[in-house]
Amino acid sequence: MAQALLNGLVSGLLIALPAIALSLTYGVLNFPNFAIGAMITAGAYITYFFNVGLGLPLVAAALFGCLALALVAVVVQHLVYRPIGTDDHITLLVGSMGVAFVLENLVRFVYGAEVRTFALSVARPMMWQGLRFNQEQLIIAVVTVTAMAVIALVLKRTALGRAMRAISDNPALAEVRGIRRHRIVDWTWGLSGVLTALAGLLIAMDTTVEPLVGANYLVSIFAAAVVGGIGNPFGSMAGGLIIGIVEELSTLVLPTTYRQGVSFIVLALVLFLRPSGLLGTARIKR
Amino acid sequence: MTGYLVSILTFVVLAAMLGLALNIQWGQAGMVNFGLAGFYGLGAYTAAILSVSGANPAIATGAAIALTAAASAIVSLASIRLREDYLAITTLAFAEAVRLVALNEQWLTGGSNGIRDIPRPFVSYIGGGNYELAFLAICVAALLIVFVVLEAIVRAPFGRALRALREDDVVAATLGKDVLSLRMKAFAVGGAVIGLAGALHAFYLTYIDPGQFAGFVTVYAFMAVIAGGKGSNRGLLIGACTVMVLLEGSRFLKDFLPFVNAQQAAALRLMLIGVGLILLLIFRPNGIASEYRLQVGNRSRASAHSNSQT
Repeated sequence: MAQALLNGLVSGLLIALPAIALSLTYGVLNFPNFAIGAMITAGAYITYFFNVGLGLPLVAAALFGCLALALVAVVVQHLVYRPIGTDDHITLLVGSMGVAFVLENLVRFVYGAEVRTFALSVARPMMWQGLRFNQEQLIIAVVTVTAMAVIALVLKRTALGRAMRAISDNPALAEVRGIRRHRIVDWTWGLSGVLTALAGLLIAMDTTVEPLVGANYLVSIFAAAVVGGIGNPFGSMAGGLIIGIVEELSTLVLPTTYRQGVSFIVLALVLFLRPSGLLGTARIKR
Repeated sequence: MTGYLVSILTFVVLAAMLGLALNIQWGQAGMVNFGLAGFYGLGAYTAAILSVSGANPAIATGAAIALTAAASAIVSLASIRLREDYLAITTLAFAEAVRLVALNEQWLTGGSNGIRDIPRPFVSYIGGGNYELAFLAICVAALLIVFVVLEAIVRAPFGRALRALREDDVVAATLGKDVLSLRMKAFAVGGAVIGLAGALHAFYLTYIDPGQFAGFVTVYAFMAVIAGGKGSNRGLLIGACTVMVLLEGSRFLKDFLPFVNAQQAAALRLMLIGVGLILLLIFRPNGIASEYRLQVGNRSRASAHSNSQT
């Protein structure tokens, strides 16, 4: 039980990272990015390329991976979402599905379907108070908590964060107040790309590098974002932890293959009972 | 060659059915169904499981339609008070749940091996010789019925109410329309059509596995609807044909690119599908034959106005 809680906490941190990325772009662009799963996969493969293909140490590879995926995200914004027109969120939603298709199959085209792993030495799991945790879990915990702290700082303390929150609250008002929306949107995609690449690296490190590595987390990520109130990055952190722990506890009674099914149930329940999310504030539309 | 043509046409008909279903859910009622592949799979598996265990194909098809419609109605409850995004997320998650059940419940679905030897309906009457052609005729007849019924629905007050709530659900509610019940009905009608298409799919291939009901089915349907013009059933038939011909054509891609292997060719094909969807959204968002709408003033102003409403 305690072991399951610990594992759930770690996988919750893993889910929270892309859920925050999802919330950031949702807040600023007002549509849920269905390509987030494919972006995770792309991030994992780009990092894999730097790590195994070019032989860089994993930390350096991760750095390049983050920058590269941030660039990809900004390019996609300029090639796809901006031409579609950023005000029509349903069309953007469908567009993001197209992006997911392109990214996922680009990865398949280049690397095929074989399962790969990072160049990371295997270490013995550590024991503490009868709880077992391995090297990957420790890295996941440190990296995600640091990333979340940085994001929280950016959102709360920087001009960029203020501008992002302003656009998220009221885009028209923000623009009137002199916030350059397109530039902020680019920065948001960049941030989202960095977070997603980190998530890709960590998820692939925890499992393997394969073309569906991100897609397998898609439902959990959306469930986390919805539970936390989609568009609210801080809610997404909590949502991720909740989903991670619930999924992990469910494996005590259900086969592990049904983890995403459990997320679906949680998602449906939250939508029925508390549609604005556990932490979201109820807002009257129009 | 005739055999190949018949098989392509059968798939075009099935794609057109999925497109029509999505057209009432999304085109008319504004409800995004990202889990279309899951509902399609649900219909196919229901028909397959029942007919393998000896049920009459008509009953199996009826059950597939009923179950898919019921599942659609339940899933559409997720749109109670909320924006379309949440329905998109919920339907996507539903499709994932269907996929998990299909993969893991070996006793019911055969897991990743799928279900083989699904009996062909009415094969004793038709005979094996021209069966494919006869089955195509059945599919075309089913498509015609679906088309006529959906056209009637679109023209009926019910269809008008759907369009009203698509444009502005608050106004529709103020005018006394029961938004939730309308949405559930629209989604269930679409679901019924998807269930029918799924059953026909299972009967046609006589073999189904989870891989046939992956996300690309959903993307095809969306492309057909966008290409045909959202909301227009006639445009949709053209859209479905165009999309399927292009998709089938892309199968020959690997003949022109000898340096890619089969796996890469498949990936390239799916990539092109994604690119096609994006290009359609950018350059032809209203499709070939868009719904008839009154427009005032110049085009840019009209579109700016409709954007500010969503």
